[in-house]
Amino acid sequence: MGRGRPFRDSGLSQRPGRPKRVGRAHGAFRRRSARAADSRCRRIRSRRYLPLRRFAVAGLAAVVGLGCSTGTPRDTTSVRVGLRFEYPTPNELIGPPTLAYQAINDQMFLSLMEEQGDLRDGPPVWAPGLAEGWEFSGDRLQLTVRLRSDARWSDGQPVTAEDVRFTWLAQVNADVAWAYSDYKDSITNVEVVAPHTVRFHFNADLPTALADVSTGTILPRHAWETRPFTEWRSDPGWFFEGLATNGPFRLESRTPGRELVLGRNEGHFEAGPPRAERVILRAVPDGTALVNQLLAGELDVASGITAADAARIDGRPGLRLIAYNNRQYAFVVWNTRKPWFEDAATRRALALAIDRRAIVDTIWHGHAKVGASPVISTTWAHDTNLEPWPHDPAAARAALADAGWIDADGDGILDRGGAPFRFELATYTGAISRWNAMQMIQADLRAVGIDAQPRRVEPSALNAKLHEQDFDAAASGFAIDTNLDFRALFHSEEIGGFNFAAYANPEVDRLIDTFSSRPDPLEGREDLHRLQRILHEDQPLLVLWESMSLAAHDEELESVAPNALSPLANLEEWAWRE
Amino acid sequence: MIRFLLRRLAAAAVLFLIVLTLTFAAVALAPGDPLAPTDPRISPEQTERLRALHGLDRPLPSRYLSWLGAVVSSWDWGESYQTGRPVAELLLESLPPTLLLAGAALLAQYALGIGLGLLAARRPDSWLDLGVRTASLLVYALPTFWVGLMAVLVLGVGLGLAPTGGMTSAAAFELGPLATVLDVLAHLWLPALVLGLSMAGDIARYTRTSLIEFRSTRAGRAARARGLPDTRILLVHGLGHAGPRLVQMAAVSAPLLLSGAIVAESVFTWPGLGSATLQAIQARDVPVVLAATAYGAVLVIVASLAADLILLRLDPRIKVE
Repeated sequence: MGRGRPFRDSGLSQRPGRPKRVGRAHGAFRRRSARAADSRCRRIRSRRYLPLRRFAVAGLAAVVGLGCSTGTPRDTTSVRVGLRFEYPTPNELIGPPTLAYQAINDQMFLSLMEEQGDLRDGPPVWAPGLAEGWEFSGDRLQLTVRLRSDARWSDGQPVTAEDVRFTWLAQVNADVAWAYSDYKDSITNVEVVAPHTVRFHFNADLPTALADVSTGTILPRHAWETRPFTEWRSDPGWFFEGLATNGPFRLESRTPGRELVLGRNEGHFEAGPPRAERVILRAVPDGTALVNQLLAGELDVASGITAADAARIDGRPGLRLIAYNNRQYAFVVWNTRKPWFEDAATRRALALAIDRRAIVDTIWHGHAKVGASPVISTTWAHDTNLEPWPHDPAAARAALADAGWIDADGDGILDRGGAPFRFELATYTGAISRWNAMQMIQADLRAVGIDAQPRRVEPSALNAKLHEQDFDAAASGFAIDTNLDFRALFHSEEIGGFNFAAYANPEVDRLIDTFSSRPDPLEGREDLHRLQRILHEDQPLLVLWESMSLAAHDEELESVAPNALSPLANLEEWAWRE
Repeated sequence: MIRFLLRRLAAAAVLFLIVLTLTFAAVALAPGDPLAPTDPRISPEQTERLRALHGLDRPLPSRYLSWLGAVVSSWDWGESYQTGRPVAELLLESLPPTLLLAGAALLAQYALGIGLGLLAARRPDSWLDLGVRTASLLVYALPTFWVGLMAVLVLGVGLGLAPTGGMTSAAAFELGPLATVLDVLAHLWLPALVLGLSMAGDIARYTRTSLIEFRSTRAGRAARARGLPDTRILLVHGLGHAGPRLVQMAAVSAPLLLSGAIVAESVFTWPGLGSATLQAIQARDVPVVLAATAYGAVLVIVASLAADLILLRLDPRIKVE
């Protein structure tokens, strides 16, 4: 007999005797009695546990009820925004260099000048931020900036020229290691002239002087100078303590990795403070989850929606989908050091073979356009006479034949000098739209006798391969620099850097150098037009599409107008309809 | 008993060290550079400066030794490449949500599994039994991410019975203590149910088989002969019989729960260790990946040790040698 728990309650281990024999009628009676007793016991037990059950049901109802979003009155004093972001520190010099981080930080910290979002009409335009005015010296080697006298930090301290100098010292400090410190290379000194006047000294007369000065927000010297620069990177969270901001918002609360709550900065100098009392920023790292939360009414605004998810929102009552131009374009880059892509004629034939219209229509559902040039169509310097190469498989076959690509062995794949036109087409794991595009590109190229083999590569591994030219062809993407400086992408000196194609053309080098040295970028429009025409003919990379960014919001929310520079542009104007 | 414990702890420490070393080697030797520049505006010199700050300019053995030394001596896992935050702090924030989700999922898994197993065992080979067996196989076969997505779409977006993601509502810090608890529970029940469901089928099938077996044992026959109600026989005596194995299954399911948590946390944007790990893997944030793997290993080792100790307590047939 076992001595474990099963017998502890029954007591059977103490009385293991044989059961008595009973008659049939008596047995039936016992069974009926036992059933009746059992039923009575169950009823009694049931009554005994009734309060517990009621409590459990009530608890479950409360939990599920709280989970139900329908019927909850809207809080019109705050706006809930979902986007993908990390905000580990308010100090942008050591924060992640992402668009979302910058967009959030710009709500709390201002630059001297604010870059305006529309690049269609001309080069970047700078509006006053913390600076109320500025003027260059005659030789343009000095820039004197007058700060607003009414600009204050959220703790009441004035924003002064000392803050500007402190910010510059931090930006160029090697221990701080700010990702964009190169923007300050042209600045040799920042001189405090008066409490609200500061002078920048440059080593050359550059057209990008204003961009160089205004890149980066102004930091609170009085709050952060107590910590040596050498210790800034060791504890990014320290900067949340006693945080002073100078923008329209201040940080009200945060839950690391999940939520930031921005409140009105009542001391902000602008006449109209933010219309919403609070903005709750929710970190939603997954695109589908973002849309689900918007559809379920858990968010008022969702930013960073994919084209595939946009269809779930489009036409949904109560929600408005916004598609706005961004600065991004996707491309396939051909490694010109590989035998398949060494001549421009072959690369042009590839452009003719790929049906980019079908790719854009299928993948982007109208939220992108076929690209013609890396100087994208929403910029002032785009050459409007340039048309994307059409999809023309017959012309592609002819061009390939002219370039020496023929199917000599009859296996259906073109070859030249005995080498088949077979290559690997790589993209990043997780880049779903590009991966889908690559399937279509594979089919298009197969139709003209080229065997492209799509492959997904882990992002950091592919980045290293791209820099080392250890790839055949790859689909990637860039966001254009608003200064339209294409040196990093196409200048021959940048091979081994971002000139992934290993493309070298002396005329292109000359045009890039000429454009970047012109004091007035508008005078360089023809340089950029010529550059685009050469790139169009040479095709070191094939621009697949210029995408649009997608956001959606509750229809009752007004003035939501994100732009290419920030998904939270004009956040202070967002408000619920009266 | 003390010797047994010490032996197990020593074995756990060695296992932990092996996990750390293998993970470090796997991540460090993988092709690619986690700090490779992705933005043309960031100069190569600046990238090199960042690499030096994170110690990536040093040889691999030196990096390994200093990393291991910092971990063992002061539980210092370094700083995240992405955010610059101390990794230990980052994971300490992520661990409680994961433990809460995994605990709730375990509860759901056992409540559902035992309940369904009991129902099936009461009427073996009935329609109900067949239904339970089929359903348990089905939920076992369905991928967690698919079940999660469907649950979000139908119960969250469609019917509004549960929040579709997150651990709390927006600005939940304003709620009182009770409302906060209810708010977290409202966000918890659906991901816990989805995560628990994947293993509940296994528990249900084992419970059913074990209870049916118990009926034919001497103890089961004796209980019936004594006139005890069937439910009581199964619930009290039968489950007592199945108990030790069920506890063992809990320990076995700990790693599955953790790996399932990565999926469930991703679908429900639950801010736990799984979400942090997934984001770190996608961003090749090596220090976070290393630490998250180690935390997972510690959780599995502790769960396994706890299960062994509980089993020792519950099953007198098991003796420590």
